[in-house]
Amino acid sequence: MNLFTLAAKNLTRRRGRTGLTILGVAIAVSVLFSLLSLNSGYEKELNNEVNSMGVHILAVPKGCPYEAASLIIHGGVIPKYLSASDLDNVTSIPDIELATPMLMHQFLKKDEKTGKSTPHIIYGIKMEDMLRLKPWWEVEGRFFMENETNVMLAGRDLAEKENLSVGQVLPVGPNKEQFTIVGILDRTGDQDDQFHFFPLVIVQRVFGKEGRITTIAVKVRDVSRISAVSEEMEKIPDIQVVTMTQIMGTIMNLAGSAKSLLLTVIIIALIISAFGIINTLLMSVNERTREFGMMKAIGASGSDISAMVLMETVFITISGGIIGMFAALMGSSLIESFVKGMLPYSPSGSLISFSPELVAFSLAFSVILGLVCGIYPAFLSSRLSPMEAIRSGLE
Amino acid sequence: MRNVIEAKNLSKVYRRGREEIYAIKEVDFSVSEGEFISIVGPSGSGKTALLNVLGCLDPPSGGSLRLNDIEISGLRERDLVKLRRDNIGFVFQQFHLMPALTALENIELPLLFSHRDGNKSRIDSILKRVGLGDRGNHLPGQLSGGEMQRVAIGRALINDPMIILADEPTGNLDSETSQIIFELFSDLNRQGMTLIVVTHDLDMARKAHKMYKLKDGRIVGCVQT
Repeated sequence: MNLFTLAAKNLTRRRGRTGLTILGVAIAVSVLFSLLSLNSGYEKELNNEVNSMGVHILAVPKGCPYEAASLIIHGGVIPKYLSASDLDNVTSIPDIELATPMLMHQFLKKDEKTGKSTPHIIYGIKMEDMLRLKPWWEVEGRFFMENETNVMLAGRDLAEKENLSVGQVLPVGPNKEQFTIVGILDRTGDQDDQFHFFPLVIVQRVFGKEGRITTIAVKVRDVSRISAVSEEMEKIPDIQVVTMTQIMGTIMNLAGSAKSLLLTVIIIALIISAFGIINTLLMSVNERTREFGMMKAIGASGSDISAMVLMETVFITISGGIIGMFAALMGSSLIESFVKGMLPYSPSGSLISFSPELVAFSLAFSVILGLVCGIYPAFLSSRLSPMEAIRSGLE
Repeated sequence: MRNVIEAKNLSKVYRRGREEIYAIKEVDFSVSEGEFISIVGPSGSGKTALLNVLGCLDPPSGGSLRLNDIEISGLRERDLVKLRRDNIGFVFQQFHLMPALTALENIELPLLFSHRDGNKSRIDSILKRVGLGDRGNHLPGQLSGGEMQRVAIGRALINDPMIILADEPTGNLDSETSQIIFELFSDLNRQGMTLIVVTHDLDMARKAHKMYKLKDGRIVGCVQT
């Protein structure tokens, strides 16, 4: 027998209480662990998403804030437009490999059975340009041609959600024009899985937006020329230029404030949990005063007893930590959907990324939590005078 | 015979507000090696207080106390722990066993604090010595009062103490079991162990070599039995 087994046996004496304390720690650690894994996952996914645009610079209508520009990559619709002459002006700038116009629009699709309408995002695109921007696109069926009418592509997630298949016909727009799905995109793992894609001119006609575009996506020949090109683009009067780096920064800022709110909630939860542990330990120390007195009488020193109390605490917090991490792993999708609802912008891929460093950090955190919570009860128990301890138990 | 305990003019005062209560008053007392001493007296006479001061569980308020030729007044807590651990075995009225540990583990417990080697055969021999050879793996909750007290006595013996101090060891036991426990003390004494036993029970007290009578914190009589 050693101090560790003694501490472990002590914990089995009040299984219910020990279990509840471990549960408290587990909840706190699982939330912390999820948030931290989310933090690293969020940045990674955001990067992926912005890169998967295949675009370096976006031109948006003047007066359109960065926030709205950030929404564009996620399918947001803004009520301001650029014109065809803006596109010509952009295209004339040297060093631009490709400048392609896009028009975003929304239409409501009514579910035949439930009668509920859900908004669908439409991208009016030039297919040839898109395939140059996104050479990784693959399709079930086929891509549409530039001169085709009444054809469309659907994103994979959208198609699965709505039970769409190649060859199916959908009514779109105010006049319920019939469009045939000629292809369903293979899964890209990013925002493109959620959209409908139509030829640009068709979207302009169907929604009465002839000659109008929401954004011009620009790919630069040489990435080192991005800032030079964006300076040139800013000279065009109607255009506001947003680089991907700026979008990343804006989104990170927006997400930052939401995350700090979450972090505050979690810190408060951790503090409450810590006080809960301290309280439980103090109660347990108090109940065992007489026992500690006996231990001192049979030769235990104050440091033996405080070591035992600390071991009990660390045992509780490590068990809670491990259970909490497992719970976080199991429930990551739940937590993810909750957090996605909280954040102003979230990439469509999985936000949670676990790493060994994070596991090590969470374990270290559990040990430190145990030491911090155990130190006061341990100190109190080590200071007990054996005589008073034994006597107090008799009262 | 050498004195293992020597107290001169020993006092213990407890303060309750402004009031000073003398639990022990100017007691002169000595115990030789191998002696079996009992202390009797009415409730509140200071028996337990005296035992606790002699066992270094409670510091004296005045006088001198030498334990195994070491003056204990002025010793730091760390040294008192060591002195207690190496020289004294305690037996309490309430047994004070750890409920989560088996009889064997309870007996082994002091070795954990003295960092001595707890080889199995030694613990088994103690278990046999207190008459619990077949009960080692039972938890305290599965033992009778008398058995629990025997475990406690085994625990007091494991560190080879110089003296055993027992505070009302039969206070929670019926007369038949009390008889058995006192027999065990007598046996230990015959094997050379020095013992001080505080008790209410005069019949039991008479089994010791010397019986001290305590009243109002003073020794008022000593009977050779």
